[in-house]
Amino acid sequence: MPMNDDYLWDGSGTPDPEIQRLESLVAEFRHAERPLALPPETPLAPTKARGLLLQFPWLPRLAAAAVILLAAALPFFSPATRVTPPPVGPSWDVANLEGAPQIESQSLSTHQSAAKLYVGQTLTTNSSSRASLSEDDLGQIQIDPNSRVRLLQSGPNHKHLQLDVGTIHAAIWAPPGEFVVDTPSAIAVDLGCAYTLHVTPDGSGTIRTTLGWVGFHLNGRDSFIPAGAMCSTRPKVGPGTPYFEDATESFREALHAFDQAEPSTYAASTALAAILSQARAKDGLTLWHLLSRTSGDERALVYQRFASLVPPPQGITRNGILALDPHMLDLYWNALDLGDISIWRYWEQSSSTHRTPASSQLQKKVLLLKKIPSP
Amino acid sequence: MRTPFLGRLAMNTSPDDALVRAAQQGDRTAFGLLYSRYSRMVHGILLSRVPYSDVDDLVQDVFLQALPRLNALREVSKFPGWLAAIARNRASDFHRRGKPHDEFSEESISEEIDPPPPCHPAPHSNAEAHAALDAILSLPETYRETLILRLVEGMTGPEIAERTGLTHGSVRVNLHRGMQQLREVLGRKAAPLTGGEL
Repeated sequence: MPMNDDYLWDGSGTPDPEIQRLESLVAEFRHAERPLALPPETPLAPTKARGLLLQFPWLPRLAAAAVILLAAALPFFSPATRVTPPPVGPSWDVANLEGAPQIESQSLSTHQSAAKLYVGQTLTTNSSSRASLSEDDLGQIQIDPNSRVRLLQSGPNHKHLQLDVGTIHAAIWAPPGEFVVDTPSAIAVDLGCAYTLHVTPDGSGTIRTTLGWVGFHLNGRDSFIPAGAMCSTRPKVGPGTPYFEDATESFREALHAFDQAEPSTYAASTALAAILSQARAKDGLTLWHLLSRTSGDERALVYQRFASLVPPPQGITRNGILALDPHMLDLYWNALDLGDISIWRYWEQSSSTHRTPASSQLQKKVLLLKKIPSP
Repeated sequence: MRTPFLGRLAMNTSPDDALVRAAQQGDRTAFGLLYSRYSRMVHGILLSRVPYSDVDDLVQDVFLQALPRLNALREVSKFPGWLAAIARNRASDFHRRGKPHDEFSEESISEEIDPPPPCHPAPHSNAEAHAALDAILSLPETYRETLILRLVEGMTGPEIAERTGLTHGSVRVNLHRGMQQLREVLGRKAAPLTGGEL
């Protein structure tokens, strides 16, 4: 039975009898709103100071007494006697692999039993030290020499690390989208894999995936890096165009030149021509990304070459791809069999609260909804 | 009692950003309006993840959790996605705490089953309705949630995008692919056994 996408989307167009029947069947599970039982004393906002004083007029006298007591007790709290409370909260296990890595200002000795890296803390390695991080529900991350990482968050469904500089090797068994690494020039989202991520002191970086695939994201620019591929990032620009490491040298050089060039310039056109002439069927990974990084005639050329190497799957049209129809682009990506893009869409929807207004606006501009023709 | 900031505005015309700001300032009416506008979304998200019998209580939990944390939301335009994330996390907590999720647990059997509201369409076999819901719940989480919001909660694709903070593109893809898979699941369930399968 042919599917009418319009009816499914917004109830317009010719009703689909199967969808109508399903709607009728499951409507009994629909939400029936009942009054929200708000606790009577639940504050909706922090009580303002004025309200506090009205409610508790003795507060100023109590505060004054506390200041006096504190001043009297100060001599007893010299640095020599002050005890720093130990950190608390979520943490990852740290193992010293070599030398003396540091957690904050504390060095780990060579034979030290497992230490902890708490949320908010920084782990630093110098030229002769290495360490590893692990967490039961996450996986393992090895930290190379001359690296600095900071644990930003460690919750049940979201684990967030920051890599300021250096190299990490990650082997992740957490569900796709749960582990995220911030770098100065892109955000790396694990989609079920093992990879190496490197950041230089100027903030640029590279990622190499050895298993599964990784999403690289910044300001509405997404790159997907499957096993055997790599991708560079640049500050303020974000992820470059991914490519397989076994692509020809001339292909890789041309791609590098294209990524560096200003759009729609002679340099970009020349580089693009070289990319297209050198592309293999396997380089469909790169060509798919180039569809949204080119425009007009150049995009048409990319599509022509892409389609000649990777036959378009059912459900897409040339015009739809040239218009960057998101559904068709997703279909074409899945046809490459490099990873189900629905996993990325799931991460998108899970992380939508973390997006900046700028990145959301940019994404809305490039997403064009077209009517999807009935099969 | 504070005068509601948006007390004069009808429910359907209050901009959500203004509602969120008002609720952050302590306006309970504004928060109540947000509850009315978003409880369906929260219900759908929870229904895609936890047993039906537990959903209504968890909807209340989600809003009671959101209430004291509302001031931590710095960008009011992020409220829909923020609230959706709380709902998903609440569902995860539900499972982590090990609450039995067998629909036919002793507790659920002892509860009275509410009759459907009088405005409901022509009644279907309860088993048929549950089978349809089970088929949707057998899909991957991404598709499951969007289809629940569309088919069960009756939200349109644009409404789902607006309420959850997702892009139109993502929602449309989820609906399209989810429906494709659902048709396959339903087709398999309807296919009679042939001699070769016995």
